[in-house]
Amino acid sequence: MDTSTALEKAAAILQPWALATATPEPNRLDVVIERGSLIPAVKALVKARWGFFSALTGLDQPPSGDGEPVREGCVEVLYHFCSAAAVVTLRVSVPYSDAKIDSICEVIPSATLYERELIEMFGVECTGTPNTERLLLSDDWPEGVYPLRKSFTGFQQAEGQEANHGSAA
Amino acid sequence: MEAQRKFIVPIGPQHPALKEPGHFQFSVEGEIVTGATVRLGYVHRGIEKGAEARNWTQNLYLFERICGICSHVHATALALGAERLAGVEAPPRAQAIRTLMSELERIHSHMLWLGVAAHEGGFETLFMYSWRDREIVMDLLESLSGNRVNYSVNLIGGVKFDVTEKHHDEILKGIEILEERTKHYLKVVTTDRTFLARTRGVGLMTLQQAELFGAVGPTARASGVARDVRIDAPYEAYPQFPVRLVTDDGGDLLARFKVRTRELFESYRLIREILNHMPPGELTTRVPRRIPAGETISRVEAPRGELFYFIKSNGSEKPERIKVRTPSLCNWASVTQVAIGHKLADMPMILSGIDPCFSCNDRMVTINRGSSSQVWTWEELRRYGIEYYRQR
Repeated sequence: MDTSTALEKAAAILQPWALATATPEPNRLDVVIERGSLIPAVKALVKARWGFFSALTGLDQPPSGDGEPVREGCVEVLYHFCSAAAVVTLRVSVPYSDAKIDSICEVIPSATLYERELIEMFGVECTGTPNTERLLLSDDWPEGVYPLRKSFTGFQQAEGQEANHGSAA
Repeated sequence: MEAQRKFIVPIGPQHPALKEPGHFQFSVEGEIVTGATVRLGYVHRGIEKGAEARNWTQNLYLFERICGICSHVHATALALGAERLAGVEAPPRAQAIRTLMSELERIHSHMLWLGVAAHEGGFETLFMYSWRDREIVMDLLESLSGNRVNYSVNLIGGVKFDVTEKHHDEILKGIEILEERTKHYLKVVTTDRTFLARTRGVGLMTLQQAELFGAVGPTARASGVARDVRIDAPYEAYPQFPVRLVTDDGGDLLARFKVRTRELFESYRLIREILNHMPPGELTTRVPRRIPAGETISRVEAPRGELFYFIKSNGSEKPERIKVRTPSLCNWASVTQVAIGHKLADMPMILSGIDPCFSCNDRMVTINRGSSSQVWTWEELRRYGIEYYRQR
């Protein structure tokens, strides 16, 4: 199956849930979906045996600054599926105020590590994910601080304490 | 009484043999592992965050340092992505040199793994020999780039050095010796009875499991998954120098040994092809300092499997976001699942079987019926594994 056929097939599979689609590069297809459509869309790809789940990317979109059109801060979650050279990305946006997304682990069990990373780096809750223990951040990392959000610019150096540096040995 | 026999064995986070720490918890019933979990991040350096505060050139150096073993593929993935966003392509000779380095790096990585895996299985002689012979390729890498690790081959838009006639002869001579040695290793790992007892039928992962767990690279190919980015989505000079897929249907540790060893022959063949058909021309092309806004996905085949980069530029000198998904992350999931039902004594071999870019353990605590406990070092666990098989 060549790349364009694979992408056409994926577009047909995902068509029922697609809010918008884009082809940023010849070998890629981006499909924007509602978060409620995530599980059915992922199921459809898996059922059709379209490629494999390759990676999960979080993208922080902070709220607009002064003088810009008002936009609420949100995290965009990208689910990348690869089939040979073709890459399909499901794009789901969740607002800061309700940063929740369904876990896809019931469909793809190996997604657990990626979801744990998303939870601690971006503060997006993955509803139903089997394990929410810390994966990457140190045990003494403060709750509610999400390092890959743009608003995080490092800790203020506290007195006598090395910031940004785990002391739990 | 049964419930009292269930122990949780923490393994990690430090390990002197493999690089990078990781922490596993195995629940065991007697000798059999019934569950496994993983905790990472002991060497989390915040590189993805750091990328957002550095310009593209600085990031090339930063990302080359993600891994000390497969440093070149990281820099290559970033350079290829940035070049695609900028709408430029490195000249053919630069692409060929990148590919040459990728394959030399694969040879050193696979030989390093062969030694480590043999060591975990108690086969010290194979460990010593494969690491001795690995020095040949390390010398080649050093003579080309000036470095044994972090070769710093790439620029965004090309490479830093040329391959001269002298290099050409050196490399051909080196891989001729390596090829002879690899034939010997393939014979050893497939015929040595003691070693086969540690690998045949151990850590079995079926084709369906490999696909379900999202395994990549040689770990997946040893379960019959036909997946290799060099073939599926050729980059660098791979379109001109096609790779032949190496797979095995065994799915066990033996198959992982066979696949990696046979991939070495494929690398030797590719290196000869590249050296004999090295395209002439420039080494670099001009790239703007500011990379145009956009998003791209860059995938390359690292020695351990598919390396995935998602790169977003906002049009400034610094990237908006670089997401890295390394192959080991995919293969960890397979270990924690495949470990279930195996003997504790097989864990060192199963862990090293995926060639993890993590490391495991310097001590393990055996929680013994809540009363007595003992602390084991990794060395003791390894000895335990070797002794266990010796007595059978």
